[in-house]
Amino acid sequence: MALLVVEKISKQYDGVQALDQVSLKVERETIKGLIGPNGAGKSTLFHLISGMERPDSGKILFKGKEITSLESHEISALGIGRTFQTTQIWGNMTVVENIMAGMHLRLKGGLISSGLWLPWIRREEKEALKEAKEILEQLGLLGRWKSPALQLSLGKQKLLELGRSLAMKPDLILLDEPAAGLTSNEEKQLSERLYQFRKDGITLFIVEHHMGMIMEIADEVVVLDHGKLIAEGPPDRVQKDPQVIEAYLKGKRVHA
Amino acid sequence: MVDLNKKEYRKREFLYLVPLWLLSLIVPDAEDLYSYQRKEFKKRDFFYLVVLLLLPLAWHDPHFHHLMVLAGIYAILAMGLSLFLGYAGQISLGHAAFFGIGAYTTAILTTRYGLPTFLAFWVSAGVAASAAYLIGRPILKLKGYFLALATLGFGEIFLVIVRESQSITGGVIGIFNIPYLSLAGFSFDSYLKQYYLTWGVLLGLLLFSKNLVRSKVGRALLAISASEDAAASVGINVAKVKTGIFVISAIFAGFAGSLFACIMATANPEAFSLGLSILIVMMVILGGMGNLYGPIFGSILLTYLMDILGRYQEWSLPIYGVILILLLIFFPDGIGTRLGIRLIYLISYWSKKRRRDEGKL
Amino acid sequence: MDLWPNILQLLSSGITIGAVYAMVALGFVTISRASQIINFAQGEFVMLGGVTTFFLLKSVNIPYPLAILMAISIVVIIGFLLYILVIYPLRKASVLILIMATLGVSIFLSSTSGLIFGTLPKALPPFSGAKPFQVWGVSVVPQNLWVLGTTFILLIILYLLSHRTLLGKAMEASSTDPLGADLLGISRNLMTFLAFGVSAGVGAIAGILITPIFFTSYNAGPLLGLKGFIGAVLGGWGKNSGAILGGFTLGIIESLSTAFIPSGYKDGVAFAILLVILYFRPKGILGSPFMDSRRW
Repeated sequence: MALLVVEKISKQYDGVQALDQVSLKVERETIKGLIGPNGAGKSTLFHLISGMERPDSGKILFKGKEITSLESHEISALGIGRTFQTTQIWGNMTVVENIMAGMHLRLKGGLISSGLWLPWIRREEKEALKEAKEILEQLGLLGRWKSPALQLSLGKQKLLELGRSLAMKPDLILLDEPAAGLTSNEEKQLSERLYQFRKDGITLFIVEHHMGMIMEIADEVVVLDHGKLIAEGPPDRVQKDPQVIEAYLKGKRVHA
Repeated sequence: MVDLNKKEYRKREFLYLVPLWLLSLIVPDAEDLYSYQRKEFKKRDFFYLVVLLLLPLAWHDPHFHHLMVLAGIYAILAMGLSLFLGYAGQISLGHAAFFGIGAYTTAILTTRYGLPTFLAFWVSAGVAASAAYLIGRPILKLKGYFLALATLGFGEIFLVIVRESQSITGGVIGIFNIPYLSLAGFSFDSYLKQYYLTWGVLLGLLLFSKNLVRSKVGRALLAISASEDAAASVGINVAKVKTGIFVISAIFAGFAGSLFACIMATANPEAFSLGLSILIVMMVILGGMGNLYGPIFGSILLTYLMDILGRYQEWSLPIYGVILILLLIFFPDGIGTRLGIRLIYLISYWSKKRRRDEGKL
Repeated sequence: MDLWPNILQLLSSGITIGAVYAMVALGFVTISRASQIINFAQGEFVMLGGVTTFFLLKSVNIPYPLAILMAISIVVIIGFLLYILVIYPLRKASVLILIMATLGVSIFLSSTSGLIFGTLPKALPPFSGAKPFQVWGVSVVPQNLWVLGTTFILLIILYLLSHRTLLGKAMEASSTDPLGADLLGISRNLMTFLAFGVSAGVGAIAGILITPIFFTSYNAGPLLGLKGFIGAVLGGWGKNSGAILGGFTLGIIESLSTAFIPSGYKDGVAFAILLVILYFRPKGILGSPFMDSRRW
């Protein structure tokens, strides 16, 4: 059974059809890429999957359960993490706290028990700090663990966002343009890391413009154009698909 | 953080470090004003505690005691608000209403139903919490200006209800002869005793808040403040957390209101107006958002300011308005941050300049 | 039912006060559209209009029409000063700081007004006589007509200004598409500066119109301002039409409510309406591009 199933999703904004009967599947422990020219509806699809918006019609299923009308945080609780196109790290906290905040669901404290600083809360916090530092080490950010998150460079901030999602121990991570603004070196490192995460059992669904990275690491690629799904399959086959080339060229012609 | 390279210091400049060190003992340092620097208790905290305990004994002026009691009550109120405003980043211009709910609940229960003040203290907080819960669920969906307006509206409705419910609340005149708080025969009837009462309650609540802020709750609050979308993406139920902290801030306000009633012995609508809500928000802002000592300092500062201004009679409000605006323009991050950082830069600049001048000679 | 003439009477006074709310609401929306700022001191402009005119008329003995013009000019200048001294220095500040600053201005203006002009309520002479006459069984004073008439003319003038003059179009552009307007060289600061002046002027006019009927005093500002804001939200935040519709609607509902509930609760009605609207339909009556009634 596929991990994530999107069934005939449609969404309209002010008369513009952002998504038109889009259906796709994401299998477990794979990396799926989502590409398409600008305005194709990629971020919209992510918004719908993560619960930030509701589709006009269609269904979304995760691990067999329907999540179409669930709230954002409920969907996250089921095991879907996400990163954002405009990096949304929490600048008012330190690096390590960003990761620890990502563990929110896994920590059992409540308002009263935390306020009273019961002994088990203390233990939980200590272990959380330890685990957070381990995640940071995995991502190469351990050296800056006490710095305010704002002080990190963009590339590191994106890694931090990824680490925050990892702290959730999710089954699926939605990555919205993770390579945007990265140098080619950072991009390479990111690709390697993402590859490693897949080996660790996490499924990744990535929206990207950087064709190079996607084509390298994705098992399957889905192409959207003007809200419609126009191709789906392994990267090399999709690359040669005439419709895909047409879509990208069409975009280029308009802007030229 | 400014790095004052110790190797370059000469003995004379060392003297400049002394006031800086003294200042750092008193003012929360710049690092503290960012929430992430939340260590266990520092030496400075013990210094504060000692000062707090000895202050009224060292200085016997009853007016001073009275002011400190008032400052303590407002500090409780401001600290509760700072969890909602400073940490979670939500605006409330109606907290005076929760304060008033606490005060009136105590007033009514003790004067009309003879409930012991100690019990009334807890019931007041409960009533304030319930009101916050009822109001919170719908209101907290709003952001920015609209949340401010809605909370302001709530504050005004509270005043209207109080003014009109003559039979229960005494209308515009209010309730008198509220008994002093007493516990097992011990009555808090003098300013001195009330001082230790209010600051004792404040300390307890401060400990609770510190724990809260250091835990996953604190991180959730900060996450909501910085990015609600990201918070939801890690599973934080934003609505629930916002409501929860709103209720907690109302509980603090309820405690403060109850103490207020038992100390001032009266409760009337004028004490719980928009002006007070504004004052409390200013206490949180001036102390620096995102830290717990800030509202306490803000409360002491502004309570004293109001006392000083009171001597100017009719001019007090215009002057207050101007001061408010100036403080907001020059210290939007709180007095501590700018003052602390500016002083540090000033001193290091000063000493570097001296070095340069003497080097040239 | 014999309640009917009473209802009509209330309706009439509701429309009158509604006109004031509408103009205050318009002031809010004007500034907000130019700069995303909500000026909590808006109500003070209304108060100052009435109070200043009274002062010029009674203490300085300036003829009524001239006093009115001077008062409006003075209030407009105050609006400009407000921008220069408070808003401009805080142009990069957070929402919270701006709210608090405008509240501080409100405190300053109302208390200073009380200090300079005294705290007694002030009434201005009606523009054309105080003799009430009957319209459909409702007692109406000429001043009511002045209020409605001037409001109507004012709205037409504002509409023409914003749609037919270059400056007006620049302000519209600045509010609809700040980035685009900026790229075209339209200075956001200048637009906001002008917006403050316009709001102050409109508020002052509203104050002068209403003082002959409802009196004004130094502390009338905050409540008027808030009700104007509530009216703007009620009608649909962000649109001029919403502000006007909301202002009138609020005035009418508030006035009619006194037939059913004790008059002391009247001020609470506006706030109750606010809470209801924000909960059930934050978009307001006409809908709003800014308010999202969906999730948040």
